[in-house]
Amino acid sequence: MKADAAAPAAARPSPGPSSGLRGTLAQRLSPWWFLAPALLIFLYFKFIPMARGVQMSFYKVSFGDADEWVGLDNFVRVFTDEALRGAAGRTLLYVLVTVSVSAFIALLLAQALQGQARHLRILRTAIFLPAVTSAAVVAEIWRILYAPTSAGVVNTALGWVGLAPQGFFSDPDQALAALMGMHVWKHVPYDTVIFVAGLAGVNRELYDAAAVDGANAWHRFVHVTLPGLAPAITVVLTLGCIRGFRVFTEVYATTGGGPAGSTEVVMTHIYKQGFQELDFGYAAAASTVLFVFTALATAAFLAWRRRSAR
Amino acid sequence: MSLPAPSPTTARPRRASLRGLAQGWLWGCAWVSLCVGVGAFTPAAPALAQGAAVDTKPLRIWTRSSKDGRKTYDAIAAAFTAQTGVRVVYFNATTDFEQRLARAAVGRDLPDIIINDGGSLGQFVSMGIVAPIQRAEIAGSADLHERAWRTATLPDGRVFAVPTSAQAHVLFVRKDWREKLGLPAPRTWDDVAALARAFTERDPDGNGRADTYGLVLPGSTARGYTAWYLSSFLFQAGGDFVRLGADGHGRAALNEPAAEQTLAFFKRLLCVDKSVQPGAINASTQEANRAFISGQAGIYLSGPYHIALFDREPGAAKVEVLPAPAGPGGGRATLAGGELAFISKTTQRRADAQRFIEFLISPQGQTLGARPPKGGLPVVRLPVNRQLAAGSLHADPRWALVSDEYLQHGKALPLLPNASRVQQVVADGFNATLARCNSNISQDLQALNRKVDAELAKQRVLAP
Repeated sequence: MKADAAAPAAARPSPGPSSGLRGTLAQRLSPWWFLAPALLIFLYFKFIPMARGVQMSFYKVSFGDADEWVGLDNFVRVFTDEALRGAAGRTLLYVLVTVSVSAFIALLLAQALQGQARHLRILRTAIFLPAVTSAAVVAEIWRILYAPTSAGVVNTALGWVGLAPQGFFSDPDQALAALMGMHVWKHVPYDTVIFVAGLAGVNRELYDAAAVDGANAWHRFVHVTLPGLAPAITVVLTLGCIRGFRVFTEVYATTGGGPAGSTEVVMTHIYKQGFQELDFGYAAAASTVLFVFTALATAAFLAWRRRSAR
Repeated sequence: MSLPAPSPTTARPRRASLRGLAQGWLWGCAWVSLCVGVGAFTPAAPALAQGAAVDTKPLRIWTRSSKDGRKTYDAIAAAFTAQTGVRVVYFNATTDFEQRLARAAVGRDLPDIIINDGGSLGQFVSMGIVAPIQRAEIAGSADLHERAWRTATLPDGRVFAVPTSAQAHVLFVRKDWREKLGLPAPRTWDDVAALARAFTERDPDGNGRADTYGLVLPGSTARGYTAWYLSSFLFQAGGDFVRLGADGHGRAALNEPAAEQTLAFFKRLLCVDKSVQPGAINASTQEANRAFISGQAGIYLSGPYHIALFDREPGAAKVEVLPAPAGPGGGRATLAGGELAFISKTTQRRADAQRFIEFLISPQGQTLGARPPKGGLPVVRLPVNRQLAAGSLHADPRWALVSDEYLQHGKALPLLPNASRVQQVVADGFNATLARCNSNISQDLQALNRKVDAELAKQRVLAP
C-alpha cells in the first residue's frame, strides 16, 4: 500500500536533477522511517526470540551450564513421540471440525445479517462481541456453563428436553467436543463479519441476471453467492486453520489437556514439555516443526486457491 | 464494528485518503508500541534507582508463596536487614513458579535464593541451577531436625538445600454441617465416605438445593497434583509409589494391592456415591480451595497452611481440623513435606545468601515465620529448629495436632534423583483411571507400574 501511494508522487516532474534524485530517495525511504519504531520493537520482541527458538531446537538447553549441541536429536524425537502424535491427531480433528462448522454457521448468519438497515448494524455489533472477548474470559464463562451437575446451565437446558446431566469437560469422551463447541461460539462472529464484507462485494446485477434466467434461491446461492465469496472463504479457512493449529489458551484455561489427556493438543503438549518438564530444546524443536507445517500448509492452500481462481 | 458499504468514490481522492489513513495508522502504531515498550521497562526502573543509591544491590529472593505469605516474608526481611544491613528484594508467585524460574535461568538472571516446596529438590538439581550445601558450614545446622534435613538430601547423600519449614496434611471438615446432621468426626476411610455421602445427599447447608458435596479432590495433573494429593491415601493403605532399597535403587510399587484400594476408594466416591465436588478431575489446588471456601464441599485433606485461610472463610467456628483418616487396614499415615531454601549456582552473594538462610532457621527467624503479621499467612508451619516446639510457637492448639501428625504419622514422598518427574507420570496415570468410570483399575495400574519403572531406569535408580 505504501509503495502504491509513493509511486505517483515520484513520477511528478521535479525542479532539478540532483534534488529530484534526493527527493526520490527520501520519498522511497519515508515509509521505512514511519515503520522503523514498530519494526524495531517487532525485531526485539518477536523476530529475535523466534530465531533464538529455532536455534534452541538444535541444543539440549541446560539451565546452569552451557547448552549442549545435539544436532537433529530433538527433531528425531518430535517425529517419534507417541504423545505428540496423539496430540497432533486431536489437533487435526479439532481444526477440521471447528473450521468447517464455524464457516458453515457464519455463512448462514452472514446471509441473514447483510444489508444496511440500522437494526442489522446493531445486531452485527452485538454478535461480534464474543470475538473480542479474551480467550481466558471465554474459558471461565464456559466452565460455568458446562458445570457437570444437574444445576449447570447447559445441563439445565438439556434437562428440559429430558436428557441426563452430562460431564462435558469432566468426561474424557466429551471434553474435546465440548471444547470445539466453545471454540465455534467464539469464532463464528469473526467469520461472519468477513462473510458479510464479502457479500457486500458480490455484484448485484448477477443476482438479477440469474433471476431473469429463472434460477431459484438455491441456484443463486451456489452459482452467484459462493463464487463471489471465494476470496472471503479463503480468508476464513486460512485464518481458521492457523488459529486452530496453535490453539492453547482455550484448552489450557479449561481442561489443561485433561481429563485422561483427552484434550491434549499440540500446543499444550509443547507447553508441558517446555515449561513443566523444562525440556526447552525439545519444545523449541516441536514448535519449529509446527511453525514450518503451518507456513507450508497456508502457502499450499493459497497457491491452490490462486490456481483454481484462474 | 458494523461494516461500511463500498463507496463509489473516484480513484485519486480515495488513494490520497488511503495514504493519509495508512500514515496516520503507522504513526499511531509506532507511538503505541513505543509507549508499550517504555511501559514494559518502567517497573525495572525504581529497582535500578534504589540499587544505585547504595553500594550493594539487595539480595534477591524468590519464594513460591501468595501475597499473604509474602507479608510474613517481608517481616522476616525487615528483621534480617535491621540485624545485618543486607537489604532483601522478594519476588513471589504461586502459579507457574518453576516456569518463571526456568525462564530466569535461560535468561541467566537467577535470584540469589529460591524458597520452594521440597518436591522441587530433584528438579532444581537436574536443572543445574542450585549449588550444593555443606551442612557444617551453616550456622545452627545442628539444631535442625534430622528428619527435616533428609528432605534436602538426594539419595546419593549430597545436600542441596536447607529446610526452613515442615508440615503434614490434616483433614479439614465442615463442623457445622457435620453437627447439623448428627454424625461423628470421621476417623477411617469408611467414615469419610459415609460423611461425604451425607454431605451430598442430606443438604447440610439447609438451602433446600442439592448443591453440596462431600470430599474435595484436586484431580488435575498440573504439577503432578493427582499423585501428590492421593499419596496420603496410598500411604494409609500401606502403599507407596516406589519401594527403595538402602542403595537408593528401587522399583515401582503401584502393582501392590494398596494402590488398587486407593483408586477403588476414589472411584467409588466419584462414580457411585458422586460425593466429590463437580469438575474434580480437572481441579487445580486453587479450584479445590474454592470448592471448600465457598461451601460447595465439606471435607478436604490438605496442608496446615490452609488453617489461616479457612479461618477467614468459611470461618474458624465452622471448620474443624482432624487427623488424617486411617486406611482400610487401620494404617495411619499422612503426607509430610516442607519448604526448602536453595542457594542458586550463579549467585555472586553466597555469603549473604547463607546469612539470610541462617537467620531464617534460627529461633528468631522461625518464630517470625510462624507468627505472621496482620493479614499474613505463616510461612513456617512446623519449625525445623529443635529449640522450638510447634505447640508453643503457634498459640493455636490445632497446630499441636499438626505437629503430632507430622512426628507420629508423617511420611515423605520417596527420595529420588528427580521425584517430580515420577510424580507427574503417576499423576497422569491416576487421573486417566479416575476420569473414566468404566476403567479397569488393576490393568491400568500394571501399565502405570511399567511406566514408573521406565522413568526410574531413566533416572538410573531402577533396581534389577
